[in-house]
This record gives sequence, C-alpha cells and structure tokens, in this order.
Amino acid sequence: MLQTSDFASVKPQTDTRCERYLGAFRWMLLARVFEEKLASLYRGGKVVGGVFLGKGQEALSAALGVSLRKGDIYAPLIRDAAGRFAFGETLLDAARTIVGSRLGPMRGREGNIHRGKPREGYYAMISHLGVMVSTVAGGLIARRFKGVKDVVGATCIGDGGTSTGSFHEGLNMAAVEKLPLVVVVANNQYAYSTPTSEQYACADLIDRAIGYGVRGHKVDGTDPQACFDVVGEAVARARSGEGPQMIVADLLRLVGHGEHDDAHYVNHALKVSPIGRDCLDVARTQITAAGWMTAVQMDALREQLQAEVESAFATALREPLPDPNLEDWRALSTESLAEGRA
Amino acid sequence: MPRIPIIMPQLGESIAEATIVRLPFSVGADVEADQEIIEVETNKATMGVTTPCRGTLLELKVEMGKTYAVGTVLGYVEVSEEEAKRLGVGEATVESGPLKMDAGPSPTSRVTPVVHGLPVPANAAGIAYMSPRMKARMNELGLQQADLAGIAGSGAGGRVTIEDLEEFLYRIDEHKQSPASTMRVAVADAMRRSWTRPLATVGRPVRMDALLAHRKASTAKSGPALYALRALAIALGENSAPAGRLVGGKIVHPKAIDVGFAVEAEDGVLVPVLRNADAIPLSALLPRYDELVELARLRRLPVSAQGGSIATVTNFGTFGLTWATPIPLPEQTLVLGLGAGSVVPSWDKEKSQFVPVTEAQVTLSFDHRVLDGGAAGRLLRRIVELLQEPEKL
Amino acid sequence: MAITYLEAIREAQAKLLADDPRVFIYGQDVGSFGGAFKATKGLAKEFPGRVLDSPISEDAQVGVAIGAALEGMRPIVEMQFADFSTCGLNQIINHAATMFWRTNVKCPIVVRLPSGGTAGAGPFHSQSMEALYAHYPGLVVLNPATVEDAYSMLIAAVHIDDPVIFCEHKYLYYHLKAESLPTEALPVGKARVARPGRDATIVTYSAMLHEALACAEELAQDGWQIEVVDLRSVKPLDTDTILGSVARTGRLLVVGEAFPWGGVTAEVVARVATEGFGLLDAPPMRLNAKDTPVPYHPNLWGTHRPTARAIIGAMRELLHA
Repeated sequence: MLQTSDFASVKPQTDTRCERYLGAFRWMLLARVFEEKLASLYRGGKVVGGVFLGKGQEALSAALGVSLRKGDIYAPLIRDAAGRFAFGETLLDAARTIVGSRLGPMRGREGNIHRGKPREGYYAMISHLGVMVSTVAGGLIARRFKGVKDVVGATCIGDGGTSTGSFHEGLNMAAVEKLPLVVVVANNQYAYSTPTSEQYACADLIDRAIGYGVRGHKVDGTDPQACFDVVGEAVARARSGEGPQMIVADLLRLVGHGEHDDAHYVNHALKVSPIGRDCLDVARTQITAAGWMTAVQMDALREQLQAEVESAFATALREPLPDPNLEDWRALSTESLAEGRA
Repeated sequence: MPRIPIIMPQLGESIAEATIVRLPFSVGADVEADQEIIEVETNKATMGVTTPCRGTLLELKVEMGKTYAVGTVLGYVEVSEEEAKRLGVGEATVESGPLKMDAGPSPTSRVTPVVHGLPVPANAAGIAYMSPRMKARMNELGLQQADLAGIAGSGAGGRVTIEDLEEFLYRIDEHKQSPASTMRVAVADAMRRSWTRPLATVGRPVRMDALLAHRKASTAKSGPALYALRALAIALGENSAPAGRLVGGKIVHPKAIDVGFAVEAEDGVLVPVLRNADAIPLSALLPRYDELVELARLRRLPVSAQGGSIATVTNFGTFGLTWATPIPLPEQTLVLGLGAGSVVPSWDKEKSQFVPVTEAQVTLSFDHRVLDGGAAGRLLRRIVELLQEPEKL
Repeated sequence: MAITYLEAIREAQAKLLADDPRVFIYGQDVGSFGGAFKATKGLAKEFPGRVLDSPISEDAQVGVAIGAALEGMRPIVEMQFADFSTCGLNQIINHAATMFWRTNVKCPIVVRLPSGGTAGAGPFHSQSMEALYAHYPGLVVLNPATVEDAYSMLIAAVHIDDPVIFCEHKYLYYHLKAESLPTEALPVGKARVARPGRDATIVTYSAMLHEALACAEELAQDGWQIEVVDLRSVKPLDTDTILGSVARTGRLLVVGEAFPWGGVTAEVVARVATEGFGLLDAPPMRLNAKDTPVPYHPNLWGTHRPTARAIIGAMRELLHA
C-alpha cells in the first residue's frame, strides 16, 4: 500500500490532485529502478529464467494500481511492476520470487512475473494470454454472491493478447453478466516481434468495445496525467455499476519482449513518434511544470527508491533457495488424494 | 399387405426410453406418411412419433402413461405393396439395444491358449512355462524349475499353476527332509545348467591289453583314467574343433588343451585340471595327476587347477560300471567316460579261434549342437587308437 | 421409487445448493432450461440466481469457476458434453490444476463432463476424456459407474479442496436405476470390488463396469469366477485394491471405453507390471475402444467400443493363457 511517510521530504501539498499524481509517480519510479536492478541481475547471472520489463508502460500500469483499493481484484500481466507495487505487493516479495527464495510467495515453484497472492485479490497470471479476464470475472461473480458491493476487478493485457479466444470469451461473458470489470489494454505496438498490422485489422482496438457492449476508453499511455484520469474514471464507472470498461492505451514498449530480445525489429519511426516518449520523462516535465517537486527532489527520491530496491534484493539473495529434498512434491491440497510423491 | 412397425425412436443422445402421453389415432384410422401418430415424452421434451408411410393403423401395442424403451415396436401400420416398395420399407425390424448381448462362444468351445504379445509356448505342459507369479514364488522359496519337474500341471495347456505348487509343497512336508550339502547344491547347479543343452553319447569298445602291459612295464604306474586323459588331449591337440563351444552363431575354439578329470569327493565330484595335457608325456603328467587327486579329495584344490578346462575324463569303471552317459560340465562340450574292463572272448582271425582279451567301453558325451555322431565317433575312434598304442602316450 | 443415474446427479446438486451457500452452477443451458440432459432440471427455479447460464464459452466457464473458487466459492461447471471441455482445456490444466502448487491457494472447482458414447452420438458427443485430465498434475478425476456413486461422489467432489473432473456417463443417465439414494459411501479415491472372483480380475470403470459384470455373469455359467474392480476414481488410482485383486486371481484384464493409446488401462497395466509383476500368471491384457474417432452409426459404434461380448472374448483368451 501507499507509504505516504516516504513523501516527508516532498514539499507539503494539500492538493489531492498533486498527492494522487505524486503517489502514482512514486510507483512508476520504483518500478523503473526495480527493473533496472532486475536487468542488471539478469546480466550478472543472478536470475534464473526470463526477465520481462515494463519500460514505457509504468504510467498506465501505476494508474490502474492506484485506482484500485484493498478488496478489489487485480490480475496484472507481464509489464505491470508499477501496478503491482501500487496494489500492495512488497518489494521483498517481488525480489524473492525473482531470485527463487523459499520464503517468497511462490517458494521457487514459480518465477518472475507469475507471482501473486490470490488470497489478497492479487491474482497470479499464467502464461496463456486472456485467461485472466474470465478468472477476474469469476472472482467478481463470487463477490456478487457474497453481496459485496463497491468492488472492482481489473486485468491487463497487450495488443497481442486481445487476439486470443480466451480474451474474447472472458470479456463477452463479463459484459453479459454486467460485472464491474476493467480491462486495460496496453497497445505497445508489438506482440513479441509481431506488429499490430499483423495482429488485428480493425482501425483501433477500442472499436471492439462496441462489439462487446462495454464502455471503451482511449488514452495516451505516455501521458501520466491522462492515464491517471482515464483509468481512474473507468474504475469509478465500473465501481458504480456501469458494467465492464475497456481501456486501450497507445504507447511503445521501450525494451525488448524480454531482456534476451534486442528488439531490433521495432520501427524507428515509432520510436521518434509521440507514442515513443518515455512516460517517466513526461512525468518529470509535468511535475516540474506543476511545481510539485523539483528535479533535485525527484533525483533524491530516485536514490531513496534505489536503496530500497538494493536492500530488498540483498535480503532475498541471502534467503534459502528451494530444496528438492525438502519440497513437498504434491500438486493437490488434499493429501489423501495426492499420488506418487516419491 | 405389408405391416410396417412403428418404432420408439432415439429421441436424443442417451435417451433410453419414453412415455406415451397421447394417442390421437385409434386402430383402423387412416394415417399419412410422416404424420405424428403417437406423442411421447422424455426427460428432455415431448415429441411425436411418426409413421414412414401412408396406410391404416393396424395395431397399437402401447398403453397411455406407460414407458417403453427405444427400439420397441409400438404398433403396426398396414400399407399397400406399392407404398411399401416406393418407400423401401418392410417388416424387418431394426436392431435395437446396444447392450444386447449375443450368446457368445459356447461353453464347450476351445480357445487357443494365446495372449497378445507373448504366446504361451505350444506343449508347455508341466513346469516348462512359468508365469511371473510362479517365478516370484519359486524365487521366494529358492526353488529351481527342475525341482518341480515331477508336478503334473493342472493349468492351461498343462501348465503348473501356483495352486499346483502349493499343493506339492504341502505334500512334501510330510516327508523326512535333510539339508543338501554345499557340494551337492553346486553339482546340482552345474548339472542343471549343463542339461539346458541337447546332449548325446556315443560309445565303442577299447582293448586294454596293450595299456595294461604298458602299465605293468612302467615304473611309475598311471591309472587308466590318465591314459584316457592323455589320449583325449592328443586327439584334441590334433583337432580341437570338437571341443569348441557354440555361442550364438559362432564356434568358440579352445586356446589350450587343458583337460579335467573327475575325482569323487565327499557328496560330490571335483574336476582338477591338467594344463597343456597334449604337450606333456604321460610319465611327466603322473606326479601332478597324483598330487591333484589327493588335493581334490581333501578339497584343497589350488586355483591354478580349477576351471578353464575344455573337456573332462571320468572313469566310471572304478564303480564297476561298464557303460554310462556322463554329462559334460556346463562350460564344456565333451566328457570322455571309461568303463570297467573285463576279459572277453575275441575272435582271432589268424588263429581262427577265440582268444581272451581285456576290453572296456569308452563313451563320449557331447553337446549335439556342436558336433554330430560322425564327428564324435571319429574323435572316439582316434582316442581308442591311441589307448591301444599306449607307448605313443 | 426408482431413481436414475441422471436424477442422482440432479439430486446431488440440489442437495449441494441447499446445504452450502458457496455452491453455484455455471454452464450452457443449465438455467431455466435445466441443461441439455436435464441434470439441473428445476434447480434454477428452486435456487434463484445460483444456476447461471453461460455463453458458449468453455474457456470462460472454467475461468469464472477458478476466479470464484479463489474467492471461496464452490462452483460446479457443466460442460454440455465432455467433448467440448477441450475448448476449456487450457483453463483446466494450466490454470486450475496448477493453482495450488504455484500459489498455495486452493482451487476447489468441479467440472462435470457428460462423457462416453451413446448410439448415434458420433465423434463429437461421445468421447471419454478422463485420461487426458488424469495426465495432468493437480486434478482429481472421478468416474462414477453407479447411481449411488454418481450421487455420493458428486457431493464428495464439491467438498474436495482441489479441481475435480467429474466424468458422468451419458449412457448410464437413463439406463441405470437404483431403488434409492445412498446414505453412505466409500471414500473418494478407493476402488470397489464390484464382484468377487478367483480366476481373473477385470479392472474397469464407468459404463464399462456393467459390460464387465455382464461378462462375469456369462462366464460364471462355465464355472469361471471373475473378479470385477470398479475404479470409481481414475485419479487417484487405487493401486492397492488393484494389486490386491490381482494377487487373488493372477490374471488381469483392464477395460476402458476411451481410446487405446496410453490412458487409464495402460496406466493400470503399467502399475501392475511394475509393482505386481510377481503376482501375474499371464501377461496383463487391455481392452479399449478402437483407435479411430467414435463412429456415428450403431453398427460401427457397437464394435468401436468394448462390449460385454468383446470382454468375454478377451477374457477367454486370458483365462487360457
């Protein structure tokens, strides 16, 4: 959750708009420094498996994270470090999952972006795109059965993920059930190496909202203020009972699909176009223009967050790794029904 | 005129039966093709049963409210010949009821004892074929196949079943039992392994007079067994092929003419070996022979005198036997046997009269896979020649 | 009062809905229509809002169940036919089945699969999918063969804290009847000796149980005593009961209605061969459907799947082996 005490050094501001912006900015910046550290660890051989970064998507991701509340349901995707932290994931849990600590929520059984804590409404994605849409919808149906009102479920997906049958089935059924679901589509122009021209033939993904019978919201994903406003509004509409909301954000993935990918195929014209902007640069400009923080303060904040990230990884790296001899090789929770643990 | 059956149709997947809820027509009514003439209800829906052709309702075999299985004949419609022909319908009823079981093979029919993947060997009566269960039980009890040779199997194809085995074990429990010695068990094991091969024996007489005379004239006196051993060694030195072993598609030839000889020890037999016996004259072999006989009786045979021999000589004549069919050791193809000598009349052509000669029988038992009667006979003939000219030994 | 296998399933769901507010049913046509086979007949009316019609979206049906289960519900998903569960396969095997192991959070969903062949149903309304699901870690796969098991095992399935694939046989829906609903049951995961014997064991499950029992009855006239084991649960597989039976008889025939490659029958034979080789008096045999899609016409269908007659043929071979 938001750690407002971290902002003691920031100039006192009673303006809620400022507070909201700077709160989200902090998660954006934390995600960025976290992922920079992650990339460095990957190159240093400290990370098992793949590393997938969200550079360029922090504003959109954080916008959703800060719009949700405790008790909501959140199913992030691979480029949502900012949203995850904003929703309440601790740095330590993230670091533990990445290095495979036995003490982390995934205990070395799962890695990197597949982390989550379903009991806290923070669902753990699987790699098969689109399935989290109906899963979040199912969580919302459960809330409805329990008479829980004032709840939102949100999930994130990319332009490529919208081509799956699972996405279609999930969004369609959520619309039929009029569930308070928010689907955030980060149209980052590439699904791994496949450009959007080979991904879909509609003029704009937002056009699909009409087909599903859900409200569509278009936003410039490189503009933090726009993201906070649009995502905030969509979440509020869902919460107030207006049914599923679909947000399509245009932006550019500023890194490879994963750290193993040099992304040489990305069209240069896109990099120099408005969607090629780095949302963190835009944020600095917006913050400076509004006079909410100085460049020096922002640099100081960055340093402070870097220290937190270093500390989290240092702790995680000292923790015990999974041990095949101690592992409970059992896929079922019901011990009496589990087979072949030998 | 043809009678066309009205059949309870399959009204949906997995539907087994339906209930009659309406009978809009009475017997005698005229009905049209494809007209619904009976209304039925299933768990899923209410539906009409139709007649395939125009005609007169001849008979209704159903009652209102009662339930009938799919495929049941509900009644009959009488139709004209032309109508029946035109529509290709006749009185033949449909096959019904997927669970309907045929009579199946008659109880007395014989089934060939064959299972996919692993045929039971033909004529596998008795203990020749052992199931994994039998093998497991026998391993548990330390039993060998040969131990059970006497059990008549009551199983398929005369096989010995686990019940037969248990019955056998129960019965032998009533007998006095004593432990077999280590030597006995070792000999049994060797003989059992050897017996896996097709063994044959040939034999012929040998005149012993020259040999006995030679022995009498010698200062160091060799027994007949050593003469026989030396004769066998020389014969194999001339042609070692008969002592080869068959392994797969190859004959494995001996490297050296090392020949063993059987010595009776307590409750068994030991076979010390004389190395390169083809190259050492009889007189030179004798001290080593005597030494090994003594050591064998004491069961103190040195390692150098054990194993690796290519054939064995056994003097069963010492037991007063004149003829026997010894079994070669499992790793050997040949065993030469020597019977007891006796004085017999022999026709002397020159003198035109019977003269007394001392004669014994020599036998050669061999692995019939490696050599045939001819080759065995030739080898034995050469051995006899040499025994009758002992000075060459 | 006779009750069918299908009615037992309906009654089990009625009881579950009545007893446990966490239970709801989600499936195509399950609401006011009562389901393609009427397994939810009247339930939508009796339990308003708790029997929900879904779009034709098997993937989403399972996804919804997973999400609801994570939030503490006990969803029952009805697939209209087992065959269509392949459209929801990803959610079942990759999401539901991996949930507990990955996240330490339980995923108690029940997916009901109307399984198996009926005359005229053809390639896409006849399949037996149990082997496919049993292959994946994290799933419980149940195959009730009796009215009693259909009832008690479905109730047990909903109480299991893990995803359960409940394979109910369509052929048994109406053909199988019992006098009344059971008041007690064997625990899930235990196989049942449905008929004791001495000369050979048939291990089977689901609709094939009845074909196997018919075979045993027929061979009893020749003096053979055939033991029939009803697996009830394909996963977990009750190896102990199977081995116990083979230890008694020394001969094993495993019968399944599913396709022949791999599968439940192969698994049973593999386990007996590895853990109970020394119990065997003859090579274990398998009898399955043919290695083609399930045919439409009854003449072909009746030969495609094992029948009592085919089992008798196999058993006579086995008894003489």
